[in-house]
Amino acid sequence: MFINNSMTRKVITIGPDADIFEAQRMMSEHNIRHLPVVEGDNKLIGIVTDRDLRSAMPLEFFKHQGDCQEVRDKIQEMRIRQIMTPDPTTITPHYTIQDALLLIQQLKVGALPVVDDEGRLTGIISVRDLLRAFINVLGIGEPGTLLCILAEERIGEMKRIVDAITEENISVGSILVARYWDENKRAVFPYLMTNNVVRIKKKLQELGFTLLNPMEWYLDQLPKNE
Amino acid sequence: MQKTGFVYDKRYQLHDTGDYHPEVAERLEAVYKGIEEAGLLPYLTLIPAVPAKPKWIEAVHEVAYIRRFEELCLCGRRTFDFPDNQMCCETYEVASLAVGGVLKAAEMMMKGEIDNAFCAVRPPGHHAEVNQAMGFCYFNNIAICARYLQQEWGIGRIGIFDFDVHHGNGTQHIFEEDATVLYYSVHEHPSFAFPGTGRAFEKGTGTGTGYTRNYPILPGQGDDAYDKMLKEDFVPAFDEFAPEVILVSAGFDAHEDDDMSGISLSTAGFSRIMKTVVELAERHAGGRLISVLEGGYSIRRLPELARDHIAILLGKDV
Repeated sequence: MFINNSMTRKVITIGPDADIFEAQRMMSEHNIRHLPVVEGDNKLIGIVTDRDLRSAMPLEFFKHQGDCQEVRDKIQEMRIRQIMTPDPTTITPHYTIQDALLLIQQLKVGALPVVDDEGRLTGIISVRDLLRAFINVLGIGEPGTLLCILAEERIGEMKRIVDAITEENISVGSILVARYWDENKRAVFPYLMTNNVVRIKKKLQELGFTLLNPMEWYLDQLPKNE
Repeated sequence: MQKTGFVYDKRYQLHDTGDYHPEVAERLEAVYKGIEEAGLLPYLTLIPAVPAKPKWIEAVHEVAYIRRFEELCLCGRRTFDFPDNQMCCETYEVASLAVGGVLKAAEMMMKGEIDNAFCAVRPPGHHAEVNQAMGFCYFNNIAICARYLQQEWGIGRIGIFDFDVHHGNGTQHIFEEDATVLYYSVHEHPSFAFPGTGRAFEKGTGTGTGYTRNYPILPGQGDDAYDKMLKEDFVPAFDEFAPEVILVSAGFDAHEDDDMSGISLSTAGFSRIMKTVVELAERHAGGRLISVLEGGYSIRRLPELARDHIAILLGKDV
């Protein structure tokens, strides 16, 4: 679960003295939204996003749909250094995916540059990289079936569920545990790598578990911070 | 009344899935029983299985995959690719007979000997990928039939309707770049049900964009959701595509008494689906329709489901 294994290593970067059109071209060519800005020896000095580029464009540019040479010349003179976010928050390859998730949520950014101890850029982790990692963790890229089980909030309940699945010789893609509206209960969602769930369902019911109706359950059961 | 073919063969029961597997030989006995007890057998043209010519299986599956399947099967392996796919020494041969039975029905239909057909075959096919067995399926019967109709009989547009409760990932992937085959699947939503594909935004790729359509149904939604699907999405899509032949992946596992799903479709709901498909076949394809058994695991309910399915193909009131 370390960033090292989930980040993009071949980072597309830009120099501080490049112009805005160059950045725009690179973003659209590679279908990305963040360009780390580096100097010699790959030292990170900033990051520029597609939003930074749009904000830098004067209104006249959009009015003339980019046709007016005079406006283009003016933009051409602007350097990345002038519009980038200098010294962005960075992480190291030994941060965990959980760190990155919390930090991205807190900072409200779309990507974090990854640097080594000397401040040299070694990768970038974007929301897209994290999504891919979570699709992998959930196992939903592989064929399987989701069970929805209601269990008592009690030590050993999970073991009983996993034991039952093991006895049926079914391999597990992932197990999500979520809070339930009843404080003494947990909703457990094993993603099973099989189509053959008839016996395991019956077995769980015989063990006293309730199979939840997925339509009556929603992921975010807790009161929200409005 | 229509001349309806019925592919049925005792040898389909030889595919042994071992202990505690829902895809069992008794399913076919239940299908037969329902049709026999309703007195429908005399109206049907019985079609026994024949092995498929290798070239037709190879029209869909990679040769290396076919050889791998045959070898593992003959050397006594009990599972193939995934633990779900339990098999025995006869499985390869039976899978080839399943394809052959479907192709025989298609041939008879094209020669005008029958109008339509129901193929009660095992093992099922719609999860089988070009090079991988999956979800109890080894050869993709319906996909091979589509290729056969195009290559042997020059059929242009083929509409495949898959109402098995699980998404037919194999069939979708085989035709996703192909604008000559419209693949339409209605199934339990992939966030809850096997195999986890068939989301509404999967619409085909490249020139095939728009010729794959997926209609996921949320758990417990049953008849109303299916009626809405038929009226608002399925019929308009098939009317626009105007298929020259309709193929049906007929899985009966969306039934309310089938433990394999949580959709809660009624027996009458299945009949409304099938009547709609038959009407479409009459409107666009001169009635040409081949229906192939996929899933459906309620031994108690399969007799009535098969009975009504066949009766609708015959053009009888249900």
